[in-house]
Amino acid sequence: MSKKGKIELKNINKYYGKVKVLDDVNLEIKPNEFFAFLGPSGCGKTTTLRILAGLEELDKGKILFDDLDITNTSPGSRDIAMVFQSYALYPHMTVFENIAFPLKMDNKVAKNKISDLVKQSASKVKIEHLLDRKPGQLSGGQQQRVALARAVVRQPKIFLLDEPLSNLDAKLRLETRVELKNLQKSLNVTTVYVTHDQEEAMTLANRMAVFLEGKIMQVGTPTEIFNNPKTLQVASFIGNPPMNLLEGEIMNNQLTISGVKIKNYEIKKDNFKKIIVGIRPGELNISNEGIPAKIYLIEQLGDSTIMNLIINDKIVKLKSTENKNFKENSQVFVNINSDKIYLFDPETGLRI
Amino acid sequence: MNKKIRDYTLTTLATFIMLIWILPLIWSVFVSLKSEIEVLAYPPNIFFEPTLNNFKDAIFGSLSIVSELGDSFLIATITTIFTLLLSIPAAYALARLNLFGKKKLGFYVLATQMIPPMGLVIPYYLILGKFGWLDTYHGMIIVYMTFSLPFAIWLMVSFMEDIPREMEEAAFLDKASRMKTLLYIILPQVKGGIAVTTIFTFMNAWNEFLFAVQLSGNKVRPVTIAMYNFVSVEQTLWAKLCAAALIAMIPVILIGIIGNNHIIKGLTLGAVKGGGRK
Repeated sequence: MSKKGKIELKNINKYYGKVKVLDDVNLEIKPNEFFAFLGPSGCGKTTTLRILAGLEELDKGKILFDDLDITNTSPGSRDIAMVFQSYALYPHMTVFENIAFPLKMDNKVAKNKISDLVKQSASKVKIEHLLDRKPGQLSGGQQQRVALARAVVRQPKIFLLDEPLSNLDAKLRLETRVELKNLQKSLNVTTVYVTHDQEEAMTLANRMAVFLEGKIMQVGTPTEIFNNPKTLQVASFIGNPPMNLLEGEIMNNQLTISGVKIKNYEIKKDNFKKIIVGIRPGELNISNEGIPAKIYLIEQLGDSTIMNLIINDKIVKLKSTENKNFKENSQVFVNINSDKIYLFDPETGLRI
Repeated sequence: MNKKIRDYTLTTLATFIMLIWILPLIWSVFVSLKSEIEVLAYPPNIFFEPTLNNFKDAIFGSLSIVSELGDSFLIATITTIFTLLLSIPAAYALARLNLFGKKKLGFYVLATQMIPPMGLVIPYYLILGKFGWLDTYHGMIIVYMTFSLPFAIWLMVSFMEDIPREMEEAAFLDKASRMKTLLYIILPQVKGGIAVTTIFTFMNAWNEFLFAVQLSGNKVRPVTIAMYNFVSVEQTLWAKLCAAALIAMIPVILIGIIGNNHIIKGLTLGAVKGGGRK
């Protein structure tokens, strides 16, 4: 059987009581893609994943796996595996039994093959030595590996991960992230990964969807979304620290912020009395001329410095790798890298 | 120092209370080892020649309670089995499915426990009489189940609610049906609850006297009624009565010892909810 794993979501709507949690979600995920759902908590990304898994019914819309309508198919018949945020290991079973469970429930797997398959899957995530233990005797990281092993053992067509790293400590999270990426590459399975951590999404995913308030705001590769955000919300959500949003004005093809004209920047646009100008913290620098600002607070991060400046009574963050001796409360001027300016319509929030 | 005084006081108090509780039992043991004449001696003799004749009579004699033991065993066992068979799915449904009026149903289940049994004897007598089920095994079993089932459901619900939903969802995704999920994922995790339900149901059905004496007694004779074998207009055979009572106690004591750990877990369930069980 040829293994593909294309997912299509068509006009998915979901209500919890009267609250609309998913508003017309449309999405296509390609076979073997590592796809991330990114968004703050309560944005509908986990609900979408649960709908994909069949754990949540939808009020309107269609789900297609490889062009086959599976909207009303039971979770077990969808050929998917899922790793839950809480791992959901079966506490009364040993690690071996946990990993073997999906095989035992699957009538197509021959009984004498189970042991080999379990061991193979355990070795992929390096837990061969833990097979006789119970989940209660394992650390968080080990439990997470067991959950992964249980998910991959059946060689599903689609692999769903719901914030799998969020219960691990920072160091382990980075290590596991790399292993997860390698595992997905070696398995070559369509993977949907839910996270609120943009760094995770950016590093792991081939493509991602940004969810906000029950809607998909933008779909694209991590770099596309970072460099080319389509809306104000996406722009301000992606990037750490987030993008600065300043008020500006366009007059005679010339952009003005705080009464200062931005040099080397020409746009052929209608006049805008008020416009939102987005600038990433890394694209600002302190110079002898430009927009007047006051240094409010300096944060040292070791390899870089974040300066909190006050421009027009608003805090603006500037990220710099140089470590010059600036003093807090001193007056400076800020220059903008004119290639990296994003303009947004304040009314619609759309990129101009 | 204060702690020591407190400990001693508490131990003394506990011993005292325990003695009050255990005194009838000790008295029964002594009486059961005496001859009927010795029992009535006044003042009672502290030293006497112990005999096991009363136990022999209670088992093999003309007043044997063996058939009554059989009846009680049958009634208690079947009551327990049916209570488990019905309470487990019911509790699972109450704990998991979004049924209409679920909360009210839960309260109703608990409310049935609040009615004093005395008030139910006559209605039950009339109902069973109408059906022609007086003095039958199934009549007694159904009556006992009306008490055990609400308690069992209520107890099992609290055990099942402790299991995270994600555990089941994981099982569904692993291709397990709802039935298999209940069997392989839920039931092993509520073993404690099942043990407590079994013990309580069996013990209550075994020990029950009020309904047994009113609703059965001729063809169906639970062991609690058998105690009447030894009471007649002319005399009460105290020694044999005590021997029979002690024999009847054995299964309950055995179950108590075997299930002790589970009972403690069940009773402290509210206190450790979400923490203790793994």
